[in-house]
Amino acid sequence: MNGATTAAYLARRAAQKERVRILYRRALKDTLNWAVHRHLFYQDASDLREKFEANKHVEDLDTIDKMIAAGEATYDKWRHPDPYIVPWAPGGSKFTRNPVPPSGIEIVNKGLEDP
Amino acid sequence: MALRAAVLRHIRLPVQTLTAAGSRPQPQWSFLRLFSSHDDHLTKEEVIDRVLDVVKSFPKVDPSKVTADVHFQKDLGLDSLDTVEIVMALEEEFKLEIPDKEADKIDSCNLAIEYIYNHPMAG
Repeated sequence: MNGATTAAYLARRAAQKERVRILYRRALKDTLNWAVHRHLFYQDASDLREKFEANKHVEDLDTIDKMIAAGEATYDKWRHPDPYIVPWAPGGSKFTRNPVPPSGIEIVNKGLEDP
Repeated sequence: MALRAAVLRHIRLPVQTLTAAGSRPQPQWSFLRLFSSHDDHLTKEEVIDRVLDVVKSFPKVDPSKVTADVHFQKDLGLDSLDTVEIVMALEEEFKLEIPDKEADKIDSCNLAIEYIYNHPMAG
């Protein structure tokens, strides 16, 4: 096939692979959000992996693009309304709780007025 | 008085100067409490130990092949999706939130250890 190993083909395949990896990562995190108990999560995670593995050997670029788009649509549909985010990360409960004070500020005498 | 001075002369604690954020106490002074908020970064040995533990307990990995500079796909024969799973397990172990683009680039134990060691919030 003439388009087998051209640079554009490889670049497109690499971009698709990256999209797949990021989609798998988000879907896995979402699965953990929904299925909090670990044994349920393992079951759901292996089901998700099966779905990804089933389409592993598709070669046609357009089919792959359509499958990725369908996968991302399914992911958007199933996103958890209240995902677990690590506390210090944006969206977490501790984010900007204690911001760093601006530089050049000096607290004199612990802020008390009378020495 | 002289006895006290003699005793005090024998008990001399090392004076440790703490430079600006980023200095870490030496492992042999780990009993010395510094009461500063900059002394709770993980040591490199801890990071390496925990990362290797996580990788070894992955079911598709052969534990005897895991060293600190092993590449997930080339040396351990894992899939790219397996790499994603390992990165997620490391995120859970160290309570980190790695952005998607960064997580995609973590490909080997080396990179993982470097990233986690240099992350300010690695727990």
